Amino acid sequence: MFTHTSNLSHRIEPEPQPLPGDFAIWIFIFAELLVFGVLFAAFAFARSAHVELFTASQRTLNRTAGFANTLLLITSSYLVVRANHAIKTGDRKACWHWLLGALSLGTLFLLFKILEFRQDFAHGINLSSNLFYMFYLALTFFHFMHVIMGMVILAAVAINTYHGRYSASNHTGVETGASYWHMVDLVWIILFALIYVIH
Amino acid sequence: MKYKSQKVAMPYFIAALALFLGQIIFGLIAGLQYLHGTFLFPALPFDVAHMSHTNLLIVWLLMAFMGAAYFIVPEEAETELYSPKLALITFWIFLVAGGLTIAAYLLVPYAKLAEVTGNAVLPTMGRGYLEQPLPTKIGIVLVALSLLFNVTMTLIKGRKTSINLILVGSLWGLAILFLPAFYFPQDTVKASFGWWWIVHGWVEGDWELILGALLGFILIKMTGVDREIVEKWLYIIVAMTLISGIIGIGHHYYYTGAPGYWIWLGSIFSAIEPIPFILLIAFSFKMLLQRRREHPNSAAMLWALGTPIMAFLGAGLWGFIITLAPAQYYMHGTNFTAAHGHLAFFGAYAMVSLAIISYAMPILRGRVANSNSAQRWEIIGFWTMVLSMIAITLALTGAGIVTVVLQRAADNPMGFMQVQDKARVFFWIREFAGVTFLLGLLVYLRSFFIKGEYMYADEVKRALAA
Amino acid sequence: MQQVFTKAMARNIFLGGAVFFIIIYLILSYDTFQRIPERDHANKMTASVLRGKYLLDTNDCIGCHTINGEGAYFAPELANVYKRRGPDFIKSWIASQPTGIAGRRQMPNFHLSPAQLDDLVAYMQWLSNIDTNNWPPNIEG
Repeated sequence: MFTHTSNLSHRIEPEPQPLPGDFAIWIFIFAELLVFGVLFAAFAFARSAHVELFTASQRTLNRTAGFANTLLLITSSYLVVRANHAIKTGDRKACWHWLLGALSLGTLFLLFKILEFRQDFAHGINLSSNLFYMFYLALTFFHFMHVIMGMVILAAVAINTYHGRYSASNHTGVETGASYWHMVDLVWIILFALIYVIH
Repeated sequence: MKYKSQKVAMPYFIAALALFLGQIIFGLIAGLQYLHGTFLFPALPFDVAHMSHTNLLIVWLLMAFMGAAYFIVPEEAETELYSPKLALITFWIFLVAGGLTIAAYLLVPYAKLAEVTGNAVLPTMGRGYLEQPLPTKIGIVLVALSLLFNVTMTLIKGRKTSINLILVGSLWGLAILFLPAFYFPQDTVKASFGWWWIVHGWVEGDWELILGALLGFILIKMTGVDREIVEKWLYIIVAMTLISGIIGIGHHYYYTGAPGYWIWLGSIFSAIEPIPFILLIAFSFKMLLQRRREHPNSAAMLWALGTPIMAFLGAGLWGFIITLAPAQYYMHGTNFTAAHGHLAFFGAYAMVSLAIISYAMPILRGRVANSNSAQRWEIIGFWTMVLSMIAITLALTGAGIVTVVLQRAADNPMGFMQVQDKARVFFWIREFAGVTFLLGLLVYLRSFFIKGEYMYADEVKRALAA
Repeated sequence: MQQVFTKAMARNIFLGGAVFFIIIYLILSYDTFQRIPERDHANKMTASVLRGKYLLDTNDCIGCHTINGEGAYFAPELANVYKRRGPDFIKSWIASQPTGIAGRRQMPNFHLSPAQLDDLVAYMQWLSNIDTNNWPPNIEG
């Protein structure tokens, strides 16, 4: 279990080890899911104490925009799946194109969300308006930031793909970027259902 | 000692320990004043004893961090320190300025001190931990700049290990985060909000990075575990620190005038602040288990392993107890905070400082480790201080419980002074534990004066005879 | 997910995570600063109130007392003392320190003039009206 590896100080990427390699990235995924999970739980808890307020405020949300954004993210996740599939067969060009597509849809998501935020602020909705709006703004903004983060990662992966740094046998970067993007998509689906829809 | 210039660390370490002793003496005075309110009054009022206690703490820790930087950065960079002379001059300036400041606290009434040091020009005095007059604060900035210049120039010309990058980077962070000391808005709520940029930013952010770097360095040297593994863990730990701690600052914003959303955001994010401390325990014990050598400095190893555990207890556990908003509603501004503060400061920062001193001092004195006899004294000092601090923490927690029950949560709350009276037994226990802590510190300091180094030949003989 | 988690990845998560959360914190701080003046009635921060604040700071009251729970735990909470005791009590109390009672925690006499005492009390009145989300739980602070 405790491997005594030879002197690794000259190598940048050590051989895969049982520990801490995979374990370590799970710490971050755990942390991400933990924070979003706790935020959702807190939302549910707060809602149970203020049902009428939450239901009334929820009705003012732009469900069309939310639904459009859900479609955008699900589609972009699909494109990322295609990109991953492409690189597995060694098709760098296709991978690059699928990634560009995913990034475009991600950009549209950000745009729609910004327009929605502007509409909210114009109606006087802010973090201190009421408890529901506090959660709505905090959660969607926190998620918004994660979409940006995900796009930064995908952009880095796309650039690497363009420069031919991945291949059929070596594309862990694409998988990592894809996994992160799927997580962002999944969180949005839960968020949309919980905050925009369920009452 | 691999590089001659590392020697400048020694005066910093010696001063750190002397100031630590001073800190404890003032702590005992303040603790006694809790019980005998007229003790040394009016010559040394409680607030002066208190600010001397806290300011000495901060200065001795800064001295230790600076000494650690001068020891670690050249060794990690594999080159001599840029300017040992500058480091030495800076040391004397810092020591003298610090000494003068404490003397000023003791000899000059605070309002008078503010008047004569130009506080009216740029008000900065009158906040906890930031009691220093304006000239002292400026001096701190200059001392920090000198340190940063020195270690950055060294880093630039040498090997850039992750430990070095994190250490030097966080020293920059330390200096930058001190700048809000000069920002004292007239709006009390804004002032409180900004005060935490320094206090939380340091102890629940930047300083955790320093702690990680110091611990990582010690563990690499003492266990021989591969650097790549240690440094990867270090990045994970410091990442979790900032991910939890930056919004986690919100746990200071519940009840001081900031908007209500901090109650939710602060609770959620600060609840994950214990995670880096859990990881530090896993990290250090994993290195211990995977060690490739038996380092003769057992005392240093004990400090290195004790630090994450005590840090977790003080910062992680005791911190968690008071971090969630509903709980803090009752515990805010009570001895619960003091309990957490003492165990966290000692467990994390005092202990990591003593760990690096324990590792480095023998080397600075020309040997790998101290004699078994000296290490034994040091280890007794370790246990005495650790157990005393746990007792202090439990006593203060008891006092906090009294306040919560009688003053905060009660249907017919009692007044503050009356409640403090009810908590006397806990303040006695705290004071007694403070005395044993001092004894532990004296035993620890004695260990430095025991002659001799670790005798490999003798140990081998003993092992063979057994 | 079977893949290698390198030191470089960890470093990027550290740097990315730090930038990410600093941005969020800056945005939240901006909003907070916008909201504070309404919550603490900044428009009621008269010259007297500000003089009172300066007196409290330069006499290091925070070295024994707490304001909204922040400070030292040697002496009572000051943010709601105006409501607890009223201006006259506060002024005469400060002026008559120290009590000299054997064993009791002592407060120095700061030799404040009547005008200064008025300013200090004005500041304490201002403090007592800050919206602190219903803290403290009761009048004893």
